[in-house]
Amino acid sequence: MPQVSRDETAAPMIIEDWNRLTFRVNRAAYRSDEVFARERELIWLRNWLYLGHETEIANPNDFKVRTVAGRPLIFCRDTAGEVRAFLNSCPHRGTVLCRDTEGSSKLFQCFYHAWTFRNNGDVAAIPDEAAYESGENLRETMRLRTVPRLAIHEGYVFISFDPDVPPLLDHLGDAADYMTMIEQQHVGGVQTLPGVQLYGVRGNWKLAVENAMDGYHFAPTHNTFVGYLRENGFAVTDDDQYAYNLGNGHSLLVLTGHGGRISMIWEPRFGEDERVRTAEHRAEMTERLGERRAHHVADESHILYVFPNLLLFDIEGMSIRQLEPLGPGRTDVRAWQLVPRHEDPASRALRMKTVVSFVGPGGLATPDDIEAYEAVQRGIEATAADPRPGLDYSDMSRGMADEVKGVRGRSIDEGAMRGFWRHWAAAVGFDPQVAGDRPASFLEGRDVR
Amino acid sequence: MTVRYGHGAVQVGARTVVRSEVEDFLYAEADILDSWHYDAWLALFVEGARYEIPTTDYRGGWSPHESGSFVTDDWDLLRARVKRLKSRKAHAENPPSRTHRLVSNVRLFPGDDDDSFRVTASFVVHRARDGRFDVYVGRYEHILAVEDDGFRFRLRRSVLGHEALPVGARLSFIL
Repeated sequence: MPQVSRDETAAPMIIEDWNRLTFRVNRAAYRSDEVFARERELIWLRNWLYLGHETEIANPNDFKVRTVAGRPLIFCRDTAGEVRAFLNSCPHRGTVLCRDTEGSSKLFQCFYHAWTFRNNGDVAAIPDEAAYESGENLRETMRLRTVPRLAIHEGYVFISFDPDVPPLLDHLGDAADYMTMIEQQHVGGVQTLPGVQLYGVRGNWKLAVENAMDGYHFAPTHNTFVGYLRENGFAVTDDDQYAYNLGNGHSLLVLTGHGGRISMIWEPRFGEDERVRTAEHRAEMTERLGERRAHHVADESHILYVFPNLLLFDIEGMSIRQLEPLGPGRTDVRAWQLVPRHEDPASRALRMKTVVSFVGPGGLATPDDIEAYEAVQRGIEATAADPRPGLDYSDMSRGMADEVKGVRGRSIDEGAMRGFWRHWAAAVGFDPQVAGDRPASFLEGRDVR
Repeated sequence: MTVRYGHGAVQVGARTVVRSEVEDFLYAEADILDSWHYDAWLALFVEGARYEIPTTDYRGGWSPHESGSFVTDDWDLLRARVKRLKSRKAHAENPPSRTHRLVSNVRLFPGDDDDSFRVTASFVVHRARDGRFDVYVGRYEHILAVEDDGFRFRLRRSVLGHEALPVGARLSFIL
């Protein structure tokens, strides 16, 4: 990393100009340690964060160990069946309490001094407890430390390190219904599967967010994947597809021309048997949900971003992606397959093959996205501290010309990214530099309920 | 614990397959991959073969049809993967990663049918690209068919030894 003597954050982080129809983001936002530290404090420690899915810990005593916002946590279901999130750190001297990555246990015992805790946080045993006759109720003060807030929506478990965050559903806002739509695809809802993709990218976490909300990159970046679909009888199109800001930093791409949807929209590569199953399931959905709702649930692919660390890909199949920033230029990514609880084995096999063919670090498409994040992260070193004004900025103006006319933002524009960056700047306390007036016709949100 | 020896040879139908010829096959494959000769690599598979890389939480016995994977290619996807890697538009591998592969600990086991056998081996793959150097360690769990002119993969499975793929260590190349 080149040494930059001046404060990179002194220049505006966002320059939005409605006279020139330009929107620019200061590249220090991806590069600066100071920005990263501000994000940690003002975003990651103050928002609701996605922790995991309830079905990862399906049974009482199940646990997973996971780091979120840099904090090692135990995500577990206690013996009574309640979902819990504890700091994975012994209240006694701070030792990592649970050193397994997953399992089933009623108790967590620290190896260092053998303090033992129940999976509801109660102290179960402190060796030679009599030595602590200090007048303090040791067992009460030494309970396992919980994450201050935990709430669940449709099986998605969220936590917050800030005890004073507003209720989860207020934070999720319009994003909540798109999570419900995934749950409604099948009778009995959805579950996660083992086989979790754990990988890391040499790129800032916000590059992964931008990429997911960027339909513009699809045709050039995924040229080989588009070719594979075409050879199998599916012509990818970007026509008539849109991007939405859902408020609170969340955003949504609605895609209808990027591929089939297992058990909902058939395409030739899925095979003839799946065509029959799809027709039956689609009819059942109309019966159960009504025509309009079934249309939104079944016939649209959704890529939903829930600020700051959750991406839901409801596309050919479904997957959950969680972002865990490690530093300005490094991000861990975790991806789970989300599947109908009750599914024909042939459909399940097709789903596994199809989803993995696209997503993940070994798929036919995601590696090119990773190449993009990493190439940006390396490339933006070129303009660091460049004295010429405006060079150290990335352009996200695409679609503003339509926005001033009140035309709905397309998936191949950059409106969803602009919404993300505006929310980000407000969250970390950078005032955007705005020239001109944002048009009154500016469209935001989407409500299909 | 009883240590079991004797994985240096295996009987496949009337033919005795010995470790040295399987090592030669695996070394030749490593060389083909390090040279990016993807058509020659695909020719090492029987039609209908599979290529798999389970995720790092993999525990033996999982079915790739019922769990997530890094790679679960059937014959169609395997051919699509090779076609992609040969394209200039496979951006993640253009320019291609430089790889260097070490294969060892080769052991042979009887197969489930009379024309194939199982082989396990350890691998270390070094990958250089973009000024970075990544190391992938793991174990092969292949099923090889015995044909008149040599061996062919019926299943080529690379099981990673990592807890998670390290930052930057994607699987855009053949592991």
